[in-house]
Amino acid sequence: MRVVAMIMAGGEGSRLTVLSEHRAKPSVPFAGKYRIIDFTLSNCVNSRIYDVAILTQYRPHSLNEHIGIGRPWDLDRRTGGVRLLQPYQARGSQGWYRGTADAVYQNIDYLLNRDADLVLILSGDHIYKMDYRPMIAYHEEKGADLTVAVMNVPLEETDRFGIMTVNKAGRVLEFHEKPKTRDKGTLASMGIYVFNVSKLIERLTELHKMEPDLDFGKHVIPAMIHEDKVYAYPFEGYWVDVGTVDAYWRTSLELCDPNSPLNLWDPNWVIRTLSQERPPVKCSAQGKVVRSLVSNGCIIHGYVEHSVLSPGVYVSPGAIVREAVIMNDTWIGPGAIVDKAVVDKQVLIGAGVRLGWGDDWRPNAERPDWLDTGITVVGKGAHIPPNLRIGRNVLIYPDVEEDVFTVPDGIIPSGATVTPQAALLPPAAPAVVMTASDPAAETPPAVPTTASSAQEVNA
Amino acid sequence: MNVLAMILAGGAGPGLLVLTAQRPDAAVPFGGKYRAIDFTLSNCVNSGLFNVAVLTQYMPRSLNEHIRAGKPWDLDRSQGGVRLLHPYQSHAEDRGGWQEGSSDAVRFNLDVVRESRCDQVLILAGNQIYKMNYQPMLEFHRLRRADITVGALAVPPYQSHRFGMLTVDPDGRITRFEEKPRRTRATLASMGIYVFEASVLTDILLGPGRNHRHLGAETLPWAVRHKRVYAYEFEGYWTNIGTITAYYEANMGLLADIPALELADPRWVIHTPSRQLPPVLLGPEAVTTSSLYCDGARIEGTVVRSVIGPGVYVAAGAEVRDSIIMDDTVIAAGAVVDRAILDKEVQVGEGAHVGTGDNIPNSTAPALLNTGITVVGKRAVIPAEMVIGRNVVIRPRATPADFPVDGVPGGATI
Repeated sequence: MRVVAMIMAGGEGSRLTVLSEHRAKPSVPFAGKYRIIDFTLSNCVNSRIYDVAILTQYRPHSLNEHIGIGRPWDLDRRTGGVRLLQPYQARGSQGWYRGTADAVYQNIDYLLNRDADLVLILSGDHIYKMDYRPMIAYHEEKGADLTVAVMNVPLEETDRFGIMTVNKAGRVLEFHEKPKTRDKGTLASMGIYVFNVSKLIERLTELHKMEPDLDFGKHVIPAMIHEDKVYAYPFEGYWVDVGTVDAYWRTSLELCDPNSPLNLWDPNWVIRTLSQERPPVKCSAQGKVVRSLVSNGCIIHGYVEHSVLSPGVYVSPGAIVREAVIMNDTWIGPGAIVDKAVVDKQVLIGAGVRLGWGDDWRPNAERPDWLDTGITVVGKGAHIPPNLRIGRNVLIYPDVEEDVFTVPDGIIPSGATVTPQAALLPPAAPAVVMTASDPAAETPPAVPTTASSAQEVNA
Repeated sequence: MNVLAMILAGGAGPGLLVLTAQRPDAAVPFGGKYRAIDFTLSNCVNSGLFNVAVLTQYMPRSLNEHIRAGKPWDLDRSQGGVRLLHPYQSHAEDRGGWQEGSSDAVRFNLDVVRESRCDQVLILAGNQIYKMNYQPMLEFHRLRRADITVGALAVPPYQSHRFGMLTVDPDGRITRFEEKPRRTRATLASMGIYVFEASVLTDILLGPGRNHRHLGAETLPWAVRHKRVYAYEFEGYWTNIGTITAYYEANMGLLADIPALELADPRWVIHTPSRQLPPVLLGPEAVTTSSLYCDGARIEGTVVRSVIGPGVYVAAGAEVRDSIIMDDTVIAAGAVVDRAILDKEVQVGEGAHVGTGDNIPNSTAPALLNTGITVVGKRAVIPAEMVIGRNVVIRPRATPADFPVDGVPGGATI
């Protein structure tokens, strides 16, 4: 049996807000030194699958850079190894991948060239450890055309998943993509599929004529249930979709506990990544770190508690970092306090800044659906000027320069959004953060230097 | 100009006691995740020298494992790259066999010098910790049309007895060489690194110097009298980790807020094969003052002024002070480690006390171990509640049965 894996890594992950502004979701850093896709890739090589294709589409540069020729995963091989499959132009086709199954359909040539019997379709978006070999054995044992990995999810979350009902033998009888009602059971598809290649090609070719934006969950699986042998493979173990800022933050901080459900220390299931050449973590005489995960290259002069730090983070004397995820090479100035935040790479947090400040827990005014649990998010390369106070649920876009932050009182209230052009303050800021001399609370205080562009963005 | 770097890494490093029981001094772990030779190797590639030979002899296995094909240094190349040169047998009377010194080692590998068609040979040592760009030294060598250029370092007079001391004329040419003098007016010490014109090296070692065994003690003094030998002064941090005390001090020096040897230098990265390990995990009760931690370490207890290697586990309630702990060593709850060097995979049992009591010099090596440092060899298992004094040496793979019931007194060797 020749098995090849195809990892879907083209997703935008828009609910991760600015974290996926400049990179695809699989490329978002996680657990300090890793990126999300490392878990799926490591699962492949740990399952002895050395033939891996990664399908990219949205902002692939950081992913390309990370994967390279696949060295950290020993996928720089002469036969097999890792391939990045980008969308391409062809005669009579416009090129972009319009759905997960469409992406595979456009790479049928790859499957044929690899001469594979089975294809393992994976998502690059999930954090989990799974040996795919028992699933493949199960697939063969059942003589299945398609096997879908499933797990039980809480009933109230069933509307986020493809939910299926199975008979005693494990054969899938019904499939409901993101059902609105709660009566379909709790067996959810994990987006992990084993297909017989010949059957997959047959079905994709057939279905593609009707649905150009072909998707596995929406079209392919429902169509196959009635005609082909589709089985569900139950998986029990740690599996998380860190699709929202809140899930990302919570899953990250969970790793700080010695008994965290995700064991990164297992010598029999090493999660591999492109390790940067960095010196050991340095904690100075006044530095203190508790209940945290800290990557090499960090220099700690301040106090860090219950946080995850990526390589090269610098915490200055007197700074406090609490319940935060801080990515590579971010600099936290003297006396700055970071509380409940996700800070992307290469951010400068000026001296005395309070990031995640105050007791005002209003959701983000622009995107209340993205940010409503009190986490403040700072995009890559933003420069926050000294002594600024930034509230909760604030969204700061990448590469925002210091002058954009010139706001009354040096306060960015909770729920604000700061774009590279202007600080968009929430319409009804409460009295505690507005002084008496401020203009009426209904009109957002205009930023003197960038007033016109602020209106533009508001429009 | 074509330069071949030869790194001498075959030394037994007797001054490092059990740390070199199963590895040459070039392969001794340093600064947590590095090994001593990483500094010299990284200096080579950071200086743009990609043709490197590593000469081994003593216990080379861990060095072989470490260097392999040279990936971390980008030395896995089709042209040049890194080669490990081992002693070999041969039919000729005067070649092959075990090497009896640095001149001997280079002489046995002159074939490599010839085949690499290099103009200069840069001879380096694998047991030195420093960051140096070799290009200015090579440039100096060419400008002076020297036969040999010696890397030199200004040292205070009280250290002159440890070095070969050089007297130079205003142009930098060495006029006098004194090997480890008690008193001298010279202030420049040889670092033990040399640029040789390839032809001069071959001529000396096969001709007048064919009986020389040591470069520093024999070949160099001869060359000073007969050839154009210059000194290139290096100004920067440099240390030789030849003794336990020097090794300990060099590691502890990394803990300073602004260390003499800055490892976090993006323009001069020290490369090493990083293990695939997760970030450092610091527990809720961890105390982490003034220390270095490598990836994969898990700290639940107290660590003060120490270097913690990859994968080390310090249990809650354990205490590590002023110590160097190498890869995957486990320190169980309630144990105290004070002023000690623990090699890889050591197990310190619950409530054990390593490094306590008076400073009694080690009885078998009083000259080497008299500053209170206790050294524990690789994979030793220290039983629970065991009390171990200072200046103690514990052999690799010591089992609980090897320890006296009433503890190990200061200065003892197991």
